[in-house]
Amino acid sequence: MDWVAVGLKEDVPPGMVIPSRISDTELALWCTPSGRYHAWSDRCPHRGMRLSHGFVRGDTLACIYHGWQYNEAGSCEYIPAHPKLTPPDTICVPTYACAEAGGVIWVSLAGTDMPLPVLGGRVPIRSLQISLSAPDLAAHFGAHSFTTIAVVSDHEALLAVQPCTDRTCMVHALAAPDADRKVVSRWLEDLRATLEGVPS
Amino acid sequence: MNAAIDNHWYPVAMISGIDAPRETLLLGKKISLGREDGTCWVLDASGAELPTVERFGHLWTSPGQPNRDLFTIPEADSPGRRLVDVGSVKVKCSPLRAVENFLDIAHFPFVHTDILGAEPHTEVDRYDVKIREEVDEVWATKVKFYQPQAAKSAAGGITTEYMYRVPAPTCSVLYKTCPPRPGEWDVITLFVQPLTEEWCEVWPWMALYDDESTMSEMVSFQQLIFMQDRSILENQLPRKLPLDPGMEVPTQADMTSVAYRRWLKKIGYTYGAQLVAA
Ligand code: FES
Ligand SMILES: [Fe+2]
Repeated sequence: MDWVAVGLKEDVPPGMVIPSRISDTELALWCTPSGRYHAWSDRCPHRGMRLSHGFVRGDTLACIYHGWQYNEAGSCEYIPAHPKLTPPDTICVPTYACAEAGGVIWVSLAGTDMPLPVLGGRVPIRSLQISLSAPDLAAHFGAHSFTTIAVVSDHEALLAVQPCTDRTCMVHALAAPDADRKVVSRWLEDLRATLEGVPS
Repeated sequence: MNAAIDNHWYPVAMISGIDAPRETLLLGKKISLGREDGTCWVLDASGAELPTVERFGHLWTSPGQPNRDLFTIPEADSPGRRLVDVGSVKVKCSPLRAVENFLDIAHFPFVHTDILGAEPHTEVDRYDVKIREEVDEVWATKVKFYQPQAAKSAAGGITTEYMYRVPAPTCSVLYKTCPPRPGEWDVITLFVQPLTEEWCEVWPWMALYDDESTMSEMVSFQQLIFMQDRSILENQLPRKLPLDPGMEVPTQADMTSVAYRRWLKKIGYTYGAQLVAA
């Protein structure tokens, strides 16, 4: 399976965790203080609390409910209610392949051998939610794959498409470093209006 | 009809809050309630009268034929206590998740930070848990926990002792050390009205020894605590409470929750429960 953009680097500064998703798979996206990114299933194995509500402490992600701490491999290494206990290896959070490239965070749910997308030196402009499914959006540009990037003629922009629900997707737009951000941003809003059938 | 679910008493209103007749949901079905000449009434969707009990500041009813009286809280009748109607909070979670959270102390340092708990005082010592067969209730005793501000009336940090009791599937009574009166127990209850399997209305009620705080201070204290709990309850997955082992990982600190789930399963209480792994 392809790499899917799940957020921009600036959305997840070091020491932060945020929720994200790829279709029905809900993700907790977090960054260690030293800048390593992780994408996990957004559910704590203890009592099912969303890990995206948790907090980063050192190189671990802690759940907000009872403070269980998970190391970067997703294994539970500390249970505050039982400080002297070494948690069994069986307590772990499902993790997904995750990497940062070109200011975008990429996740592959099934794991992949494919290299990260080539962005040609472009930089992120902004993310925008669009009320259209990812396949429909791809079809609009005649692209065959919606998870990878649709290349668009205008502003040499690249769109990294994140499928969210049956009717919505998130578009992460990138453009050349010298592009006028305001112009690209405006173009993106017009694009959304066209795609959603709303007069702009 | 499912007798194991219907034949219980359920809280449906705070008596002091009933002015005009109104509708609400009980176990997914519409009911209406009101008060006339000082007596409360409840009707089901077809207009048939349902049994009522007025107790602990709340109105109780049942869609079935309860085979026993509403549980009692003898301590709450002792003189000198202030009876506090806290009001209600609607929560998008299973009624059983709301009760289970109330039985849990390990979350205090993280969810009620600097009030009911604080790091590094996170350890939960072993306590006793039992299903008391003679009364068919779940009890946890000798539960001890360090608290920075155990109650509105507490001046500073103390180790609080707790007892928890589940006298009905969607109700819990908590007895806790009472800061101004060592040797006595404050009573704090959580009465949960199952609106649907994934939506509930929570009616906390308290019988406290506290001569200092005003009523509104005691109410706000409890409401603040419950708002913190709600931010958890609406973000647990799945929304229903898994009764079968496997989906979640309990530890020794969770013995009360383990007993509660086991008891629900034993009495066949499946409303708001997740039975097969999703
Ligand atoms: S639910 Fe995450 S630590 Fe308890
Ligand atoms: Fe709580």
